[in-house]
Amino acid sequence: MNKSFTNMQTLESNKKSNLEPQVDENSGNLPDFTTDAYKDAYSRINAIVIEGEQEAYDNYISIASLLPKDSEELTKLAKMELKHKRGFIACGKNLSVEADMVFAKEFFSKLHGNFQTALENENLTTCLLIQAILIEAFAISAYHVYIRVADPFAKKITQGVVNDEYLHLNYGEKWLKENLHTCKNELIAANKANLPLIKKMLDQVADDAAILSMDKEELMEEFMIAYQDALLEMGLDNREIARMAMAAIV
Amino acid sequence: MFGLIGHSTSFADAKRKASILGFDHIAEGDLDVWCMAPPQLVENVEVKSAVGISIEGSYIDSCFVPEMLSRFKTARRKVLNAMELAQKKGINITALGGFTSIIFENFNLLQHKQIRNTSLEWERFTTGNTHTAWVICRQLEINAPKVGIDIKKSNVAVIGATGDIGSAVCRWLTKKTGIGELIMVARQQEPLIALQKELDGGVIKTLEEALPLADIVVWVASMPKTMEIDISRLKKPCLMIDGGYPKNLDEKFKGNDIHILKGGIVKFFNDIGWNMMELAEMENPQREMFACFAEAMILEFEKCHTNFSWGRNNITLEKMEFIGAASEKHGFSAIGLDKQINPLPV
Repeated sequence: MNKSFTNMQTLESNKKSNLEPQVDENSGNLPDFTTDAYKDAYSRINAIVIEGEQEAYDNYISIASLLPKDSEELTKLAKMELKHKRGFIACGKNLSVEADMVFAKEFFSKLHGNFQTALENENLTTCLLIQAILIEAFAISAYHVYIRVADPFAKKITQGVVNDEYLHLNYGEKWLKENLHTCKNELIAANKANLPLIKKMLDQVADDAAILSMDKEELMEEFMIAYQDALLEMGLDNREIARMAMAAIV
Repeated sequence: MFGLIGHSTSFADAKRKASILGFDHIAEGDLDVWCMAPPQLVENVEVKSAVGISIEGSYIDSCFVPEMLSRFKTARRKVLNAMELAQKKGINITALGGFTSIIFENFNLLQHKQIRNTSLEWERFTTGNTHTAWVICRQLEINAPKVGIDIKKSNVAVIGATGDIGSAVCRWLTKKTGIGELIMVARQQEPLIALQKELDGGVIKTLEEALPLADIVVWVASMPKTMEIDISRLKKPCLMIDGGYPKNLDEKFKGNDIHILKGGIVKFFNDIGWNMMELAEMENPQREMFACFAEAMILEFEKCHTNFSWGRNNITLEKMEFIGAASEKHGFSAIGLDKQINPLPV
């Protein structure tokens, strides 16, 4: 099969129209990290990341209280988050940016509230979905996109972090997979309540992210990839995942 | 395992198919939602060849639709993400179907080896162009005599002659088939002259000059939608092989003694038991498929795990002979005109 464009006569002519390229933004076309606009946007994005890592630490310690037999592993995972937090504080300092922590606290407040409610009610499935699946998938997707456009210092740190985050996602996947037969309904309900929050959070930072050359469409796609992978890994089928993912877009 | 990366022919079609498959969140979304949608592994299948070798494979829909062609970054992500998924699933050899391989080639995706935590291994992918080129040549050789064309005396126009498939077809027709005269048509003159030199033959013409001269026309580039052709100026009989994508020649050339054949499509000897080719709108979806997809299956049957068709103008006669022999051995044949001339009673 030849693959040419509908309205084009030859393959060669394609190059002149649709395929007008194309500076490769991944190689050398990075944003200017020194502008006020960049630093202003970075003060919020950096704060979200720092707050996110702190939340993650707190959440894994809390989850350990519901899962005493995994306490050692969860504490280990939690401590990694604090290490990440220190790394991202260093990234801000490196660019002489002060993180807007007030903004970040507010940014996470609803998700934080839902997690705390689930914790009080000992809804372990909901806690794991919020922290180990949704927040981790959100972090992984944002870090992957950020790595492509980060300053060299932050790029190195973020690359180290993203590999750790997969361990956290895997922990959640594993537990939910093993317990899927008893926790599926709670999982679906928790997803319905919390996935739209993730989407809103993404929308909320889209403008700042764009200033950092992070494309919203790309962020969302990366999130959907990590999220879908996690659900598949847990043993949900395509239709179930489709229904769950719908919660993000309606 | 073999893999096929495909996509729908239009956004409307994609939504309809997603709905049938139960991917409601994507089906109901607008184009922006599709731009954010991850690739989907739609189907797994087991196939047994004519010589009894069993293989397993997967069909991956990249969630790309042609409407995304103008969104360079989106199109690039769709292709790379689908390739990453194929590799993560451990698929040995995956064919890049539809627009996927042309996006890969023209957007220069070779420089994007690292996708998240996956380093893409190019040897796991093939454009399938070698098999497509071979199938088109066989379709010409088998079907021209059936409509009363003497191949040895025929003028064959190849439209899109300098492309990967086009140049391979020119090479085969000149060196293996033996035709009257090769007429080469393409936009750019430089590669045409280089091809003429390589082949030590063939004439270069514009499309308008070439069509009235040709007994056989091989289209390996799609025809412009706006193009008007006066079919009274065409030779009769005339065999047209539609190797372009999407296939739209039959809309343009309806007429007596003009025979249009869907190019680069093969038929397997047995029902495969998959749904994926219904999505690709094959006439006999249990057996027919794009030759580029079949290439991945053939390579898996042969345990030939390599990027057999890769890059541009690397298709040699030896490679075409190898893939052609393997294609026939495992039960593939090029679809012909027969059923179009004498339709079976229903």
